Amino acid sequence: MATAEPLTDGTGPSSAWPAPPSRASLALGDLRQGCSSGWMWTALAMQDIRLRYRGSALGPFWLTISTLIMSVAMGGIYPHLFGTNAANYVPYLVTGLVLWQFVSTTIAEGCGTFVAMESVIHQTPMPFSVHAFRVVYRNLIVLAHNAILVPFGLLLFHVPVDARLLLAAPALLLLSLNAVWVSLFLGIVSARFRDVPPIVASFLQVVFFVTPVFWAPDALGRWKIFADLNPLFAAVDIVRAPLLGVPTQPWSWWVMLAATLLGGGGAFVFFARFRSRIAYWL
Amino acid sequence: MAYLRPRDLSVEFPIYQGGSRSLKKALLAASSQGNVARDAFDRVTVRALGQVSFDLEDGDRLALIGGNGAGKTTLLRVLAGIFQPTQGRLFAAGRVSALLNPSVGLDPDSTGRENIILRGIYLGIHPREMRPRVDEVAAFAELGHFIDLPVRTYSAGMMIRLAFAVSTCVPTEILLMDEWLSAGDAHFLARAHQRMADFVRSSKIMVLASHSMPLVEEWCNRGILLEQGRVVASGPVRDVVARYREREAAGQSTAPARQAAG
Repeated sequence: MATAEPLTDGTGPSSAWPAPPSRASLALGDLRQGCSSGWMWTALAMQDIRLRYRGSALGPFWLTISTLIMSVAMGGIYPHLFGTNAANYVPYLVTGLVLWQFVSTTIAEGCGTFVAMESVIHQTPMPFSVHAFRVVYRNLIVLAHNAILVPFGLLLFHVPVDARLLLAAPALLLLSLNAVWVSLFLGIVSARFRDVPPIVASFLQVVFFVTPVFWAPDALGRWKIFADLNPLFAAVDIVRAPLLGVPTQPWSWWVMLAATLLGGGGAFVFFARFRSRIAYWL
Repeated sequence: MAYLRPRDLSVEFPIYQGGSRSLKKALLAASSQGNVARDAFDRVTVRALGQVSFDLEDGDRLALIGGNGAGKTTLLRVLAGIFQPTQGRLFAAGRVSALLNPSVGLDPDSTGRENIILRGIYLGIHPREMRPRVDEVAAFAELGHFIDLPVRTYSAGMMIRLAFAVSTCVPTEILLMDEWLSAGDAHFLARAHQRMADFVRSSKIMVLASHSMPLVEEWCNRGILLEQGRVVASGPVRDVVARYREREAAGQSTAPARQAAG
């Protein structure tokens, strides 16, 4: 599969060889190959899901049930805590939890993008980006199972649905795009530094409570800027607001676009620099 | 036409020990100008391959010969494109497939059938193309009803048979093999031999790393003798095998000296 340098055949004196391809072009080629082998990572992600829930009758719906239980429990108590009514709070909570689950598990599993695939990476040459796409696609499948709760939550509490709903699709696409660079980046860092996954796991736990997932950013009053500039809130907000038929927070799309450009660009530079080292670190 | 031309390939492995795998220690070391945890980036590198060059064209069957730790498997991994060489270049054309340690890639929780499909995916073969081959692979591996049971329930022999059968079911242009056929029972080896012969014949280039001189002399026409990552002899396989035997015999007396030097 991997042909190292197809344009040169290596005959003749070394002075006649063209310069080796740059790291950036190799990384770009890796990503391009990864994108075009969509069948590969979709099939691998499906196998991951099949395997993870083998022997359980409900399969990935177990997660849906655990999200349901959490929604019922928090939805029963928190409206009293926050002094709002359930009709406003529960749809906000359910969509928030479902999306947060996607965001947080993708970040957590992103740490294992390469480490978990060690035996494959040491056996068969394949584009490294395939492993990142696989992580993201696998979590999108889980999200699809969890998302069943969303229409129930919306219909049960008579949330008005309008044309804004359509915005959820590009928002989810942007979110997935960010998930790819996060998996790539965390995958590389975790391959080199083995204490990164536990650091990320405890970080995620803290972030869940300080990000407006189950509470509204307006509650912060004049400190709302901390919610507005939190990219993880923006990630949830751009998908959740269209579902609930409310406008997104003014900053959310901008924060997400900035995260895509800066994070994606940074991760690409990082990937180009360390791509050739990944196999050595595992 | 397929070819494989490494030019001055060198590989150095970083050896990470203790603190050098910790981000916390690495950051501490950076912020304290090396006073605290100054060994965080205390990396040791091991040179696994040094300036390896050769030319393989259609029809070449190369044997990689050398003792344990001579760099045979590392060289196969570089040729396969798994490790990028730290120095030197690799010019290659042709579809490469590497049979390094096939039982490692099997997923113990997936069934035999799923593993066949899975291995196909890793080799770049669409499940659609792989499905028609499943029965043939299962029959060759003599799995019977075990095909739909998780691989963790298989005997060691069944795993090797499955791995071998699935790895050899799709022809390839450049075949890179680590020695692993030696496992398995005699009955299977006899059948594997025939299949292997067909598989090797259909490939344009083969590189086989092995300790077994009879095996190497049977399958290969050229040889390379590796010692501590360097090519110490190359040429027709018989000559290289003879050199290896000489050095082995002489090595009994020089081994302690080499150890002291290394």
